[in-house]
Amino acid sequence: MGDEQESEPVIGTGNQDELIMQQQRQIEREISESTALVGELEPIVSLNSEYSNDNVYLEKIKDLSSKYKHIRRTRPDGNCFFRAFTYAMIEQMLENSNELEQFIKLIECSKMGLLRLGFPEFTVDDFYETFMDVLKRVRDIKNVNDAKKELHTLFNEQGYSDYMVVYLRLLTSGHLQRDQEFYSCFIEGGRTVVDFCHQEVEPMYKESDHIHIMAACAALETGVRVVYMDRGSSKSNIEHDLPEGTAPSVHLLYRPGHYDILYL
Amino acid sequence: MSLKSQYNLKSPGVKRLMREACELADPTEEYFATPLEDNLFEWHFTVRGPPNTEFEDGVYHGRILLPSEYPMQPPNIILLTPNGRFEINKKICLSISGHHPESWQPSWSIRTALLALIAFMPTSAAGTIGSLEYTKEERQALAKKSKSWECTICGRICDKLSQGATSDPLTTEESSMLNHIALKAEEDSKTNDSVRHRTAGASVGEVPEAFVNSIPQSNKDRLWEMVMWVLLGMIVLLIARRFFFL
Repeated sequence: MGDEQESEPVIGTGNQDELIMQQQRQIEREISESTALVGELEPIVSLNSEYSNDNVYLEKIKDLSSKYKHIRRTRPDGNCFFRAFTYAMIEQMLENSNELEQFIKLIECSKMGLLRLGFPEFTVDDFYETFMDVLKRVRDIKNVNDAKKELHTLFNEQGYSDYMVVYLRLLTSGHLQRDQEFYSCFIEGGRTVVDFCHQEVEPMYKESDHIHIMAACAALETGVRVVYMDRGSSKSNIEHDLPEGTAPSVHLLYRPGHYDILYL
Repeated sequence: MSLKSQYNLKSPGVKRLMREACELADPTEEYFATPLEDNLFEWHFTVRGPPNTEFEDGVYHGRILLPSEYPMQPPNIILLTPNGRFEINKKICLSISGHHPESWQPSWSIRTALLALIAFMPTSAAGTIGSLEYTKEERQALAKKSKSWECTICGRICDKLSQGATSDPLTTEESSMLNHIALKAEEDSKTNDSVRHRTAGASVGEVPEAFVNSIPQSNKDRLWEMVMWVLLGMIVLLIARRFFFL
């Protein structure tokens, strides 16, 4: 009866579409209501409750808690890598004003790079300014704890938070395009690097792969350690430093389809 | 401007729309768009039909509805002037053609959307929902008529565009975007595909009409097919019964 199923969406076109869209919005709303864009610090063992009957995962959470103290959850909306990465990086730099100043300089130069690649100035400006605005606002708060609080507040305001994500997506796309030759061999499906950027990097809510992480790290001149936790047979979690050999400044937990922030 | 007091100016989305309103404040020869006086999230626009096409003499007016998540989500365009290419009073949204319908990019803008609309007018309707396949002559007639069309809010639309002021040149990003972009009515993509197949043969006439007719037709076909199979099965059964029980 495969035929009948196929024809189903056609029968009640208007209603059916309306229903599908309603359901989609409902799901989106549920996701956004249940998880903050960037959550509070939680102990690693808080993961246990998600896997109460799953021994494979419970074993791995034990392994994880031997290395890390805390986890900070992010909203699973497809932007989680970009949001987690930017947040964790800035948060960490708040403890070291030199690093933060250097980072601000790097971002200052980054805009020209994007314009040279042909990104539209009018809108790049828009995202750049908000990104800078956030950086300067947290820099200007002398007390580190207060600065962290401000960062947390800004990252939980959809407007600012999404703008940070967009700018990092643009920087990632820019880096991929600048280093096309190298990255082209990682792209499947006969697409060019530019096509890939337009389809998988620049649009919001598109999930991140290895290649996004590599390029994002390179663009921000930093390293990240990704801890992979899945149902695989090994007892411990697999760790991956990107780019290989660099000391990671940010630690992320990857569970299939999603990234959260880890704290040593 | 009264708008300024009404919205949270700190919200990046609002700031962005204010900036776009400034950028587009002066009409160009090809397009003009401005927010409604009391609603920053609804704009009215006017575009000139692309030269050397059947839309050449036309001036087309419409609404732009901006979602609250703009620019993370694409603007919706609604055409109001009859044009023979897009249905009027129906939401059309911007997307990349083919397999990646959700690829709106936040670095695009209302200007990008209008450029895409103009560029997309002369392309084939190809049976997509919200598209009309009028003949060249019909479109030309509508283009002529469009000059006297009036919007209840904006008045005579053909006065909205400037004579001679050209718009900013396209950026490389914009021109590459225009090569990929497609406009489609807001509809489920799966449905869209099946409709495209069915109406591909229809040369003249409104797509929705053909579309509405084709649906019950195809279901009827399927029904008849099933009835035939059931009848055939029964006949076979009856024959078999003869063999075994007689």
